[in-house]
Amino acid sequence: MADTDTAVLPGRTPVRPGGTSPVRGRRRRSRRLIALAYIAPAALVYIGFAIWPAIHTVYLSFLSWDGILPATWAGLDNYRAIFTDSMLGPSLWHAIVLILFFAVIPCALGLFMTALLQGTTRGMTTFRVIFFLPQVLPLVAVGITWRWLYNDEGLVNQGLRAVGLDGVTRAWLGDYNLALIALGFIGTWAMSGLCMVLFLAGAQKIDTSLYEAVAIDGGGPVRRFFAVTLPALRGEITIASVITTIAALASFDLVFVTTNGGPANQTTVPGLLVYRLAFNESNIGGAAALAVVLTLIVIVFVTAIRRLTREKP
Amino acid sequence: MRTKPLAAVLALALALTACAESGGGESAAPSDVSKELTKENITLKLAYTDDPPSKALISAFEAEHPNIKIDAQQTPFSDYVKSIKLSMAADTPPDIAEYNPGAMRSLVPAGLIYDLTAYEKLYSWNDGFPAASLEVLRSNKEAKEYGTGGLYAVPGALSVLGVYYNKQLVQAAGITKPPSTLDEFRANLAAVKGKGTTPFSLGGLEVGGFQLWNALTNSLGDETQYRDWVYGKPGSTIQTDAAKQAAQTVVDWVGAGYIPASANATADADAQANFVGGKSAYLITGNWAASVIEKGMGDNVGFFLLPQAKTGESTVASGASVAFSISSKTKHPNEAAAFLDFMRSAKAATIQFDTGFMPVNSEAPIQASGLRGDIAGEFKKVVGDNGIVPFPDFASPNMIDRLTSGVQGLLSKQSTPDQFLTSLQESWTQYHG
Repeated sequence: MADTDTAVLPGRTPVRPGGTSPVRGRRRRSRRLIALAYIAPAALVYIGFAIWPAIHTVYLSFLSWDGILPATWAGLDNYRAIFTDSMLGPSLWHAIVLILFFAVIPCALGLFMTALLQGTTRGMTTFRVIFFLPQVLPLVAVGITWRWLYNDEGLVNQGLRAVGLDGVTRAWLGDYNLALIALGFIGTWAMSGLCMVLFLAGAQKIDTSLYEAVAIDGGGPVRRFFAVTLPALRGEITIASVITTIAALASFDLVFVTTNGGPANQTTVPGLLVYRLAFNESNIGGAAALAVVLTLIVIVFVTAIRRLTREKP
Repeated sequence: MRTKPLAAVLALALALTACAESGGGESAAPSDVSKELTKENITLKLAYTDDPPSKALISAFEAEHPNIKIDAQQTPFSDYVKSIKLSMAADTPPDIAEYNPGAMRSLVPAGLIYDLTAYEKLYSWNDGFPAASLEVLRSNKEAKEYGTGGLYAVPGALSVLGVYYNKQLVQAAGITKPPSTLDEFRANLAAVKGKGTTPFSLGGLEVGGFQLWNALTNSLGDETQYRDWVYGKPGSTIQTDAAKQAAQTVVDWVGAGYIPASANATADADAQANFVGGKSAYLITGNWAASVIEKGMGDNVGFFLLPQAKTGESTVASGASVAFSISSKTKHPNEAAAFLDFMRSAKAATIQFDTGFMPVNSEAPIQASGLRGDIAGEFKKVVGDNGIVPFPDFASPNMIDRLTSGVQGLLSKQSTPDQFLTSLQESWTQYHG
């Protein structure tokens, strides 16, 4: 085990000629042991509850296993089954549509609200609490509430009737063409507050002299937003879009409690299919394989977002 | 940095060793079967989800056998179906578990629940348990074909699918008696609709939608053909004229406004609440809902089985049971079997009926009036005709998803009856073919 940190690194004092003295080596080793001891609890928890299950899932995806009978090696069969299943394509497409409602619209709304609220101090805490509230609620409760709001005689339809739009009222989540969009707006409602709070926090660290400079140049609020606020929030936008995109692609709870994939599979998402494979069909291998594929898709999307929003050198 | 690949390798090695998953592969049968019960004080562990009737049945059994204590653990249904398989595979499983075919089917080939045939002979269970109620709990050793082979559970209470009707709303449409043919029922629906009432409440979001199709299929079709299909008999198909006609009827009824346009967004509990609240004249569901509906509607509600296409045809209706299985790891199989045997007693029959179910022993004298009286009368008729058939979601593991989404497609007029049945048959062939 040659120590990497004894190598000569730029900007560091070169190692004394003649090699490391035994005393220093021992001290370093014990220091490293202490460091390991500090890391160990967190590392063990992380390995035990995050890395290990992930590796185990990959392993399970190569098995044919119902959860009870002895598992048999399936090779790539589970993956083959996923890619030939007619359900995966539509469900992936639904998840991608959800990105629009879970990520794109909330980020846009969040930026808009930030531009409006930036600099105000009156009632800021109240605004933040109100907009952030959806994040605090469990998505299951959110889903059940929205199922009521969207139903035949729910608040949404009552509102439409009140303004004379009786013709468009319907059970939104049961409508073949509109269920996915209705579902998406629940996500918009839940995610917008998160984006706004992130952006507002980011906007606070912007140097006010930049705004003054724009004002001196004769720029109005729009110019101020695009010239200063937007570039300054690059980091926050990346974070917000990564979090919300993952929420869209890996969505399960919201779909499960509102439509359960219906009507007629119009709102199925990959997460729901993983659940059905594992718990309805006792196909643990297939469920694991789909989960692995879903993870890879999430990684692809997240990498793409990070590349798109990276600062050009 | 070097520790990372090391950790990965270690973890992988662990994964490989940890996955010598539980063994098995042979179906299990008890030895030393006897009606002779222990005199010692023992405790049986029991896992269940449905109550009523479980708790009352357990207390009554304990009262008859003071030395046998039953330690019962209830789990909500959605958690039960996920966890029961694993708890039955554990080293110290419950001695008795409520049987759920979807969740526990794989326990049969794993040999984790007993084949009860020996007890069936010992106690002559064919006497006192309706044949159809036992038949549905039989399975071959591979758990691919049902209705034949070993017996893996025994019913503790029975249920049946039928039509509830709102007496006032129906009478307002000039209907004086329950229909005796399907055509008569169609005429009734038209009359109710003519009075401005929506005929049905329907929970298309959950199981309500396919239960309507199921009831219609039973009414129009050949029961043997349907039963064979659910039981997974080789070569069976659901792509029959009757099933297609039933699906077409669902489509027609949506078009005629008999089924509310919001059905696909309506959960079963909501559909039931709408019916109880007088928003519709009819609701198709099982007798498990009877006590709640009766509480809400009192004398204003009645029950009949969806009539057959022609008069004089024997009645057919889907039904299920709250059934119990015995773990093959139990130390007290004879006592557990005595609990199962208790289910056909007159005492148990009273409890089953009082808790809203149909008694297992149809010979047991039951006094009932009102809604319960209607259900008991209709149930007796269908049991007498040996016309209880299993629910269609029993047929294969993902059938329930196919049924639910398929009927949603019919309700929103986006798929044809042919597409619906093709999708069901595809799932069937995947599992049984």
